[in-house]
Amino acid sequence: MIHPVPFLLAFPVALLAGFIGAMSGMGGGILLIPGLTLLGLDIKHAIAISVLSVIATSSGSASAYVRDHITNLKVGMFLEMFTIVGALAGARITLSSSPRPLYIAFGCVLLGSWVALLIAERKSWRPPEAQDAVSRWLELEGSYPDLALGKTVEYKAHRAYFGAPLMFGAGMIAGLLGIGAGAVKVLIHDLVMGLPPKVSTTTSNLIIGVTALAGSSVYLAAGLIDPGLAAPVILGVVIGALAGTRLLVRLSNRAVRVFFLVVLAVLAVEMVVRGIGGGR
Amino acid sequence: MTSSLRSRVPPGPKPSRQFEMDVLIGYILLGGVLISMTLIVVGLIWRLLRTGSVTFDYRIAGMNMAEFIVAELRDLASAKFRPRLFISLGIVVLMLTPFLRVAASVVYFMVGLRNWKYTVFTGVVLAVLTYSLFLR
Repeated sequence: MIHPVPFLLAFPVALLAGFIGAMSGMGGGILLIPGLTLLGLDIKHAIAISVLSVIATSSGSASAYVRDHITNLKVGMFLEMFTIVGALAGARITLSSSPRPLYIAFGCVLLGSWVALLIAERKSWRPPEAQDAVSRWLELEGSYPDLALGKTVEYKAHRAYFGAPLMFGAGMIAGLLGIGAGAVKVLIHDLVMGLPPKVSTTTSNLIIGVTALAGSSVYLAAGLIDPGLAAPVILGVVIGALAGTRLLVRLSNRAVRVFFLVVLAVLAVEMVVRGIGGGR
Repeated sequence: MTSSLRSRVPPGPKPSRQFEMDVLIGYILLGGVLISMTLIVVGLIWRLLRTGSVTFDYRIAGMNMAEFIVAELRDLASAKFRPRLFISLGIVVLMLTPFLRVAASVVYFMVGLRNWKYTVFTGVVLAVLTYSLFLR
């Protein structure tokens, strides 16, 4: 098989996608897939490679948060039951779909991320007033050491009965488009289940890895994972993400946001136009 | 002697258990990614030294994840060392990392916490993931 994307192009694109993805906090996949398709790779192969690289970046960053006791394992394990089934279904849909709707769906997700980033303002977290019976039965509560506040924060999640089916949807987007869909998961944790922001992002990170595994099993069995391309892409995304996380603390948030808004807008329009134009 | 010792240990979970488990799960994830990256780097460098190129022309086709794992482990067992084996093993290790993490969580909820509710939940996740390895 002749590679449509040579190593010397795939590696730097993956590096850049991982770097910007980590710096902006939106993950590598959302930039990797448009990048690879711009290099001439067919979108299904790009999705398959991306979902594999998502396992690496999410596991890498989740490891530190789990060890710091911020991640809530129970919330993670409960919601994973829904995201992995969603991911299996999503990946199946991608296999039977033609490229056009995939480009358009991806463009829409990029536009959604653009809007989310534009209106993003972190409200200060307020604990839910009362825990419902379902969430209490599910033991969705915990505490974590907050170094900034210098104390242990206790919390109880609520509305698990809403969160669970929504997480099925988040898993489906992840499997369908080969991304972590971390932004969607964090939104569900924050707004629906009332988890504190730190717990919400780190637990989402844990869920992403397992969800991506379910998706990549489907793509691997379909013969869409090309190891010759997977090698430089995984390596690039992981190295890029490591560098991006380091730089996150140094660059001002505003500069990162404006830059990322421009990149997202350009890629979103490009993907939608390509989808409408025939998906090539 | 051992039975009298055991009877003195209070039943139920110890508060420090969860923290130990968090650390173990953290190291499974970190270790998996590091081993996988190392295997891929070794494969790429070896290929570069041998052929002057880092391009691999092989495909994973006509097999599911479980068959892929078995095929690569068979190559490893028969010491068929070559660059592409390292790349494939890198992919295998990467994909098994979250799988192993879930398996460890099942043991944690079952043995460590004796929490049957969560043993079932993690068991369901493990079962679905196992099923996905055998998908066609």
